[in-house]
Amino acid sequence: MSETLRQSLDLSLFWEFRYTLLAGLAQNLYVFACAAVLALALALIVGLARLSANRAVRAVSTVYAELFRNTPEFVLIIWVYYVLPILLSRMLATKFNMSPFLAAVLALGVAYSGFLSETVRAGVQSIPRGHSEAGLSLGMTRFQILRRIIIPQAVRRMLPEALSQFVSLFKATSIVSLIAVPDIMYQVSMINVDQMRPLPLYTGAALLFCLVIIAATQLIQILSDRWRKRGWA
Amino acid sequence: MIDNFNRFVVPNLGLLGEGLWITIWICAVAFAMAVVIGAFACIVRVYVPFLRIVAVIYIEFARATPILVQLLWVNYVWPELFGFPKSVEWAGVIALAIQSSGYLAETFRSGIEGLSRGQVEAGLAVGMPRTTIFRRIIVPQVLLVMAPSIVNQLAVIVKASTLVSVIAIPDLMYDALKIVNQWFEPIEVLTFVAAIYVTTIYTLSASAKFIADRFRVKYGLSTYA
Repeated sequence: MSETLRQSLDLSLFWEFRYTLLAGLAQNLYVFACAAVLALALALIVGLARLSANRAVRAVSTVYAELFRNTPEFVLIIWVYYVLPILLSRMLATKFNMSPFLAAVLALGVAYSGFLSETVRAGVQSIPRGHSEAGLSLGMTRFQILRRIIIPQAVRRMLPEALSQFVSLFKATSIVSLIAVPDIMYQVSMINVDQMRPLPLYTGAALLFCLVIIAATQLIQILSDRWRKRGWA
Repeated sequence: MIDNFNRFVVPNLGLLGEGLWITIWICAVAFAMAVVIGAFACIVRVYVPFLRIVAVIYIEFARATPILVQLLWVNYVWPELFGFPKSVEWAGVIALAIQSSGYLAETFRSGIEGLSRGQVEAGLAVGMPRTTIFRRIIVPQVLLVMAPSIVNQLAVIVKASTLVSVIAIPDLMYDALKIVNQWFEPIEVLTFVAAIYVTTIYTLSASAKFIADRFRVKYGLSTYA
């Protein structure tokens, strides 16, 4: 017991492969950044569409949000990686290749756009109607009201909720290893196959994720609190 | 497409059913364990000052580590370190329970801290012992206020349970991938299984929302976003 305990706390193996593992972590961050941009863009569109006056637009965007909020990320990634290229190839009648990276970004981006669109909707809804009516009475266009009155206020209210969504998104990037994107968990598995020492490798990976996420959340919270307090929210 | 559905999904319905059954019991056991561990961690964090730091570290670790990492960690490291779990099924259940217990502990805590202090003081004023106050004033209200979040956590567990296929637990996802690898015809099987998951998880999260709306009308609660 004490021998295995010592072995599992001895993270020298983890240190030995630091460059490979750091390259893996960089891959995680890369997937995260791309998926986050995609998710934000889609969430803004869908979130605003859910508040549209047009019933059809509202219905489509509600189905979109509910569908992707309730699909497991792993199922979505596998589906995008295996099924989507075949469907696209048949539809376009050409060979369509999906790289693991593209599949990962698409699947995670779409999945989290579902969650984030809820956040966007709630944020925009929380701004009193009087604000947009005031804008209208001053002769602002709908778009101007959105850009200059609603979004600046809504973003500040959405921030804490959006932050926790992004934390989940970063955690979810660990599953891209399952479709062979060379992220940190993929590297850990590969090193484990080579060295046959799962204890320090998996313990190290768990601790690393824990540290990265806690440090990042604390940092962003401190920075964003200062920004949120400036202004009207 | 209908042809392929008849060829690849229909003959395998029995297999997929077995997988679904394993998914269901793994989620149920993990959920039960998560509620117990979560309640315990929350009580330690709120009421036991000298063990508070331990509870905080546990909760933060559970929440900040991805479920896949915990799954592999429990599956590969725990048997050597602690001598259990002996089977992949238990490794899956424990990993899911750890992850959710962290979230549930925070849910319970925000429920306890959301109660106004006056409630406890009122209990003290009529001479109730601390344990009676906890049992008869705090717990019922926290469970009521947090019921939607607790149901929602079950939906999160079902979602995360798709990953236990990675450590070769023959759940629904594992069986689906097995069929895909056998015939290299992913479209129908994967779409069918995705539909099962979406329906299940949607039902759970929609009932959480339903409970929240009902309670809001009935008891005037509005803590659930």
